[in-house]
Amino acid sequence: MSKAAADKPGLRVVRGGELSLSGESLLALLEAVLAKGVPFRFRARGFSMSPLIKDGDVLTVAPCGETRLRPGDAVAFISPLNGKPIVHRIICLDRGFVVVKGDNVAEPDDLVPERDILGIVTSVEREGKKVRFGLGAEKRLIAFFSSRGFFEKLLSVARRIFRPATQRRGR
Amino acid sequence: MDPKIKMDALYVPSSDVVAREIEGELILVPITSGIGDLEDELFTLNETGRDIWDKLDGKRSPRAIAAELAAEYSAVPGEIEEDVRGLLEELLKRRIVVEGGGR
Repeated sequence: MSKAAADKPGLRVVRGGELSLSGESLLALLEAVLAKGVPFRFRARGFSMSPLIKDGDVLTVAPCGETRLRPGDAVAFISPLNGKPIVHRIICLDRGFVVVKGDNVAEPDDLVPERDILGIVTSVEREGKKVRFGLGAEKRLIAFFSSRGFFEKLLSVARRIFRPATQRRGR
Repeated sequence: MDPKIKMDALYVPSSDVVAREIEGELILVPITSGIGDLEDELFTLNETGRDIWDKLDGKRSPRAIAAELAAEYSAVPGEIEEDVRGLLEELLKRRIVVEGGGR
C-alpha cells in the first residue's frame, strides 16, 4: 500500500505533566524505566495515602534491587484487583506476600506477591519542596497506626471539626 | 553546532532512552541524570517518524532506510532522504539516538 500522503517525520516535545496517561500506560512506563535499574519520577493521583502523599505530589520510585522490603515502606505495586499501579504502604510481610494499605483507607489491599512490588518510594515532592515525613524511621510507626485504622479515625474527626460553616449550618 | 548525520553511518536508539507504545503513540522517555522523569521533557514520534525509528536497528544506514521508505511511500528518494536526515539530526541532537551499530 502506498503511503504517499504520509506526513513529514516529526518529533514532538511534551512535558510529562501534559500527558494524560491511563493506569495501564503509566504502569508500562514505570516497569520499563525500573527495568533499566533507574528510578522513575511521576505525578501521583488519588487520595488513598493522604495526608502524607497527596493528589498531585511528585513521587520518585526506585527499583527494589537488593533492598529488603520492610513494614512502613511506601511502595508501588501492581494491584491484584485491576492490574493498575498503586502506591500504598507495607503493613507486614509474610512468606513471599505483602500486606499493603493506603494510609487513608480503612481496609488493606488484597495480598500482593512480593514479585509484584515494582519499587520503593524514595522521594515525595509537593509544590517543588521535598516532603520527608513518612519516608524516614517514623514510617514503621505510621504503618503500625495505619494498620489499626488510626489515620482514618483521625481524619474523620478532623473532617467533623473543620467542616465548612455552611455545611454545619445546613444540619 | 547541531550534529550532522552521516548518511552511510549506522545509528541506534540510545540505551538511555525508554521507548514504549502508549495508546497508539510511541513515547520516548530519556534517562537523564540517572532517572526516568515523567515530569521532564518527553518525546513522541508521529507515524512517519515511527517508521524511521523502527528501522534504526544498527544494520541499516540512513540512506538505506530512506531507500526503503521511498519504496513504501512511493515518494521521491531525495525528498525522503532529507526527511530522514532531518529527523535523525533532531534525535541525535537530543541524544535519543547514537552513532553505532553492527548488532
